[in-house]
Amino acid sequence: MAGLSINSITKRFGETEVLRDVTLDIADAEFVSLVGPSGCGKSTLLRIIAGLEDPTGGEIAIDGEAVTGMRAADRNLSMVFQSYALYPHLTVAENIAVPLRMRSLSAGQRLPVIGPFLPGSKDKRAEITAAVKDAAEMLEIGALLDRKPGQLSGGQRQRVALGRALVRSPAAFLLDEPLSNLDAKLRVQTRAEIAQLHRRLNATFIYVTHDQVEAMTMSDRIAVMMDGEILQCDSPSIIYEDPNDIRVAEFIGSPKINILPVELHERTLSLFDKPVGRTAIGAKAGVYQLGLRPEAIHLAKSDPLLTGTVAHVENLGAEVFAQVELAGQTARVTCRAAPAARDQLRLGAEIGLSFDLADALIFDADGKRQRGVEVTLDQPVEAA
Amino acid sequence: MAVIDSTAIPRKPTQVNRQARTAWGLATPALALMFLILLVPVVVAAVLSFTNYSLGNSGFDWVGFKNYGRLFTRSTYEKMFIATFSYVVVVVPVSVALGLGAALLVNSLGRFGDVYKTIYFLPVMATLLAMAIVWEFMLHPTIGVINQTLEMACGTVLEVIPFVAKGCADGFPLWLGDKDYAIWVLCFIGIWQGFGFNMVLYLAGLTAVHRELYHAAEMDGAKSAWEWFRLVTWPALGPTTVFVVTISCIRAFQVFDTVEAFWPQGGGPNKSTYVMMFAIFEKGVQQNLIGIGSAITMLFLVFVMFLTLIQRWLVERKVHY
Ligand SMILES: Nc1ncnc2c1ncn2[C@@H]1O[C@H](COP(=O)(O)OP(=O)(O)OP(=O)(O)O)[C@@H](O)[C@H]1O
Ligand SMILES: [Mg+2]
Repeated sequence: MAGLSINSITKRFGETEVLRDVTLDIADAEFVSLVGPSGCGKSTLLRIIAGLEDPTGGEIAIDGEAVTGMRAADRNLSMVFQSYALYPHLTVAENIAVPLRMRSLSAGQRLPVIGPFLPGSKDKRAEITAAVKDAAEMLEIGALLDRKPGQLSGGQRQRVALGRALVRSPAAFLLDEPLSNLDAKLRVQTRAEIAQLHRRLNATFIYVTHDQVEAMTMSDRIAVMMDGEILQCDSPSIIYEDPNDIRVAEFIGSPKINILPVELHERTLSLFDKPVGRTAIGAKAGVYQLGLRPEAIHLAKSDPLLTGTVAHVENLGAEVFAQVELAGQTARVTCRAAPAARDQLRLGAEIGLSFDLADALIFDADGKRQRGVEVTLDQPVEAA
Repeated sequence: MAVIDSTAIPRKPTQVNRQARTAWGLATPALALMFLILLVPVVVAAVLSFTNYSLGNSGFDWVGFKNYGRLFTRSTYEKMFIATFSYVVVVVPVSVALGLGAALLVNSLGRFGDVYKTIYFLPVMATLLAMAIVWEFMLHPTIGVINQTLEMACGTVLEVIPFVAKGCADGFPLWLGDKDYAIWVLCFIGIWQGFGFNMVLYLAGLTAVHRELYHAAEMDGAKSAWEWFRLVTWPALGPTTVFVVTISCIRAFQVFDTVEAFWPQGGGPNKSTYVMMFAIFEKGVQQNLIGIGSAITMLFLVFVMFLTLIQRWLVERKVHY
């Protein structure tokens, strides 16, 4: 069990810069998710932490001890590979047993015929068999122990890979999209198992995923990566409610956050040339972007801030998402409504939308969050 | 397989018939050729091995198993078996092991690897007959490079080695002319000539090893090159190894040109290099004893068939995942 500190790691493959000055401190027993679009360098970062890839610059420390230059086998980490990387000639049970055999049996005790008869070998072998059985049971692959990886489905292989990583108690677990191939039910279940394991072992986890739900539900903190940088690393609620960057706001949340262009001129904030609020003195005039989560937009009873026609409706049962094509604009906004509002949200219906500016996130033209810009709706300004 | 067959969509009988006819029609040329150029000669040889036929004779007598009986009683053929099996037993393991070692080294080299690849493959491409002449020069007892080099060791500390001491006193071996050395020289040249081929096969096999598996092995705590080899490389090379061993065995059983080049008369000093292929050539072609030549050929085919069956069994049962 150990904390990890990643200090301005950079990585280039020839000319392409894959990681740019990545810094991240992970506390002991913390569960950190790495999320980001495909190709942003999540796997590369994980492999650098593991020691399988050398960083171009920067340092890694495990438990306060610098490990740059230490080989992967000595770092005492365990990893689930995105490609599973199971040994094709070994059965499921043997695959899961490999990390235990390599680390707890001596070279002599591992020998095929005479190994089991060497002193001490029998007890250790029994321990390994028991540990393998436990791991397999937890992942529901107990019935597959005698099969070879070639005879398994993708999801089953993934669970074997997970079993091989979880059978040991290393300094930290590195999991690269370990649930991506499981069906919905198994995914929820395995998610719970991993979360439970995290609590029970009190181990450090770094968890790469594409699935926001996984990231939001399991993590202590989420690190959002994009183009080789960590844009923000904070608790799930802060990442969702208080993002630092428009890319974070856009990446987290489903459906995606609505971004509307606004203009600030002489303390008046106008949306599509229509004044919607006033700011305190001090904010620079110019073009800003307004981020509105779908749940921040509601159907207006009167005085709508936006009007448009319903272009698409997604009914999820407990809630309804409607895409509204704004009048005179090409942009669409998504709003969430209660199922009771379904009648209003017929395709092509004209509706008015409204929102509370206090719920809006304001970003500058480059996408940086503007926390200084306080907007109030207190004095509705008439159009000039 | 059976599962797939039983669940196949049932078709109308006429359609099945038509398909079957087309299939047979398409397979006929290949089948005819196979019969004509593969099976018929084998059958002819099998039949001839029970006769005393000679080329040019109008008739022949059936001699039953007499030819085979001779193979297992005459001392010439005992020498043939000893020479052949010595050669196979030495050349196959050594050339496979060297091929594997060279492939692993070349594979780890990167850019310079191509240079070594070419160098090691040169003997495979070169005609063995031409190379045999070069070897004959080098191995010449008095003017050959090898003995001259060995003589330079005389008078130095190297004389503590019994072989050198004996050579300096009584002269170094005649190599090709010495019945104790001839077969080992033959083996050496066989290995020198063959391991490059095995190396190329292994290099092809190595490209199929999933690189991520080495990373997994590293994470699992495999630290030494040997552990990586045991856990990842060797199992992945299983199919290649079966193929390489089979091919090497068959090639070793077929050794002929070196023997013919070094000892055109009679298969080496005291018949110590009288290998099977040379025996077939000598009996069947030079001495026109088709019967006995065919009998040796049949025996040769049995060995090769046996090896092939073992290979098939291994490939199907053991090394495919
Ligand atoms: N060995 C390599 N040589 C060159 N470029 C590489 C290499 N490995 C990765 N890359 C590049 O580095 C970038 C990051 O790759 P990485 O595998 O870390 O992405 P990722 O975030 O894990 O994506 P995904 O979510 O699809 O798994 C990619 O653009 C990829 O093309
Ligand atoms: Mg990846």
